[in-house]
Amino acid sequence: MERKRNYYTTITKRLLVAFFCLSVVPIACFAWIMKGSVEETNIIKLNELATSTIEHRAEVITQFLKDKINTLSMLVTLYSEDYFFNKENVEKVFLAMNSKGDIVDLQVIDVTGFQHAYVGPYRAKIEGKKYDDAPWFRETLISGVHVSDVFMGFRNTPHFVVAVTDPLKNYVLRATINSSIFNSLLHSAQLGPHGDAFIVNRVGELQTPSLLGKTDLSETDKTLLAFENNSSSIITSTDISATRSIDNGHWQLVVTANIADSLHYYLRLRDKIISIVIAISLISMIAATFVSLVLSKNIERADKEYATLGLQFVQVEKMATVGRLAAGIAHEINNPLQMITNQAGWISELLPDEDPTLVKNLGEYQKAVQQIKHHVQRAGTITHRLLGFSRKMSSQQEKVQVNELLLETVSFVERQAGYDNITIVKNLDNNLPGTMTDGPQLQQVFLNLINNAIDAVGHGGKIELSSKTSRDGKLVLEFADSGPGIKPENIKQIFDPFFTTKDPGKGTGLGLYISYDIIQKLGGSITVANRKGGGAIFTIVLPVISFGESK
Amino acid sequence: MNEFCVLVVDDEDEFREMTSKILTKRGLIVMSAESGEKALEILEHKRIDVVLLDVKMPGMDGIETLRQIRSLKPLVEVLLLTGHASVESGIEGMKLGAFDYLMKPIETDPLLEKLEEAYEKKRLHQEKIDQALLKKHMSMPL
Repeated sequence: MERKRNYYTTITKRLLVAFFCLSVVPIACFAWIMKGSVEETNIIKLNELATSTIEHRAEVITQFLKDKINTLSMLVTLYSEDYFFNKENVEKVFLAMNSKGDIVDLQVIDVTGFQHAYVGPYRAKIEGKKYDDAPWFRETLISGVHVSDVFMGFRNTPHFVVAVTDPLKNYVLRATINSSIFNSLLHSAQLGPHGDAFIVNRVGELQTPSLLGKTDLSETDKTLLAFENNSSSIITSTDISATRSIDNGHWQLVVTANIADSLHYYLRLRDKIISIVIAISLISMIAATFVSLVLSKNIERADKEYATLGLQFVQVEKMATVGRLAAGIAHEINNPLQMITNQAGWISELLPDEDPTLVKNLGEYQKAVQQIKHHVQRAGTITHRLLGFSRKMSSQQEKVQVNELLLETVSFVERQAGYDNITIVKNLDNNLPGTMTDGPQLQQVFLNLINNAIDAVGHGGKIELSSKTSRDGKLVLEFADSGPGIKPENIKQIFDPFFTTKDPGKGTGLGLYISYDIIQKLGGSITVANRKGGGAIFTIVLPVISFGESK
Repeated sequence: MNEFCVLVVDDEDEFREMTSKILTKRGLIVMSAESGEKALEILEHKRIDVVLLDVKMPGMDGIETLRQIRSLKPLVEVLLLTGHASVESGIEGMKLGAFDYLMKPIETDPLLEKLEEAYEKKRLHQEKIDQALLKKHMSMPL
């Protein structure tokens, strides 16, 4: 039993594993691949975005600076040195070129570094200062055009300048770029809340404030600066950094995008996928568990039914064999019995002829012959019963109301049962249909079963008889008793001929065999079981044969 | 009791012998045959009232013998005797017109009773036939 239980548990487990492999694993794999590919795509997209953003921004910034340089170059070409040394003229020019506020102030400085004119808000701090030492001033005189790095200067705030000198290098025209406007050019380069965009010079000093408020460059950013060429990008686990040189490699524009930022949408998607996968997995595992349990239960039930059927088949087969054997033996015994009868008969024919005075023990002989006849008769009764001779198969069957037959049979034994204080309970279905069958033989079976029950329950016992119609329209008769029940080892042999548990001489052991045989011949079946509450229950199932249908 | 003639048909010698002895002692005229063929032969030449016929015999069996007896001598009553299980053969015999069938072992008294019944039936039957014949003769115009 334990082994069987393990077997079914194993089946359940295997089914579960199979279901798991077939449902949960593919879903999980699919989800995993989805997750990976979405993530990868995201990074590629982000990199593309960063690269295109930086290209665009670089163009805008370059254009901005070029614009300023062009304006200044145009001015120095248009006007002479004398014109710019006049402060009023410079103010006019400043107002004309600075309609957008891109420039903070405008200065005119001669080659010695002396400042001739200043227009702008820092007049007090700057007027009259000399610039002959300023690196940007020297650079401008050398190159003719110069865009400076950010420096503090006299005004003591970070700023950078665009300066040009006239073709004869007599003076320098210098414009300070409005940092806030310039910086705002980078704002739109910010990719996501944790993205950054800034400009550094060749030595790695920030030329515009980091959008994230950084003051120093990270190692990654420094690596980027090592690339001298036009543009490049680096992907780390957290960030994508793109860089591009602007202003002829004088500056580097750096755009950093945080992967987590851009993955925000993806993460939401991923969480959704994960929760859906978990939900589907849970549901399918619950379904799989349910199906597995149901399946293994069904298998178990089918096995049980099969086993029961097998047992029934064996029982029927055995009974048939036993029946043939018994009939064969009975037949072989009948002939010798006939001879014994004949011989004994012959003796009893002749004995009366003897002279009683000459035969001393005549009476004894006669008695002995009678005994021989009696015992032959006994043996003959048994062989006849075995052969079924005493149960003549009446060829004509009659319409029988089983309930009536049952009540009639009970009436035969009621008196005897009353002596022993045995209660006979009758639960009969009044709507039981009549059937064409052999009434007297059926009654013999009922009598056998009820008598057995009476013997089993003993004094004060209880016998329950019930009749009903089964779902498939057969008659079901039950004979239940409150006796000790049947021992498990006996239950298989209970219908065998000559099997009896009664005291020797009390029963022939043929009652149930004959009952079995009769019910079989009537097309029904008889089974026995022990009741849960104690006692045995015999169940007869009979087909309902309507008139004209009988064989 | 009227004396009547019984033919015992059985393949077992001892049975035939003993049955003949007992029935003769009871005052019947008894003949015996060990096979169906022999029985038919005797029936043709002798006046037999009742045949005691064993169902199971080698060669021609009881049922076949019965069938032939019925066609040969319809008035002769046949009593089947069987030690065999086949109730069916008994039923078949009855259908073929056997008077009754008996199961071995059977004692002298019940056997004799059955034989007498059979003879009585045969006798009544014969009587009716005789009367009918008589009537026929009587009604014949002289």
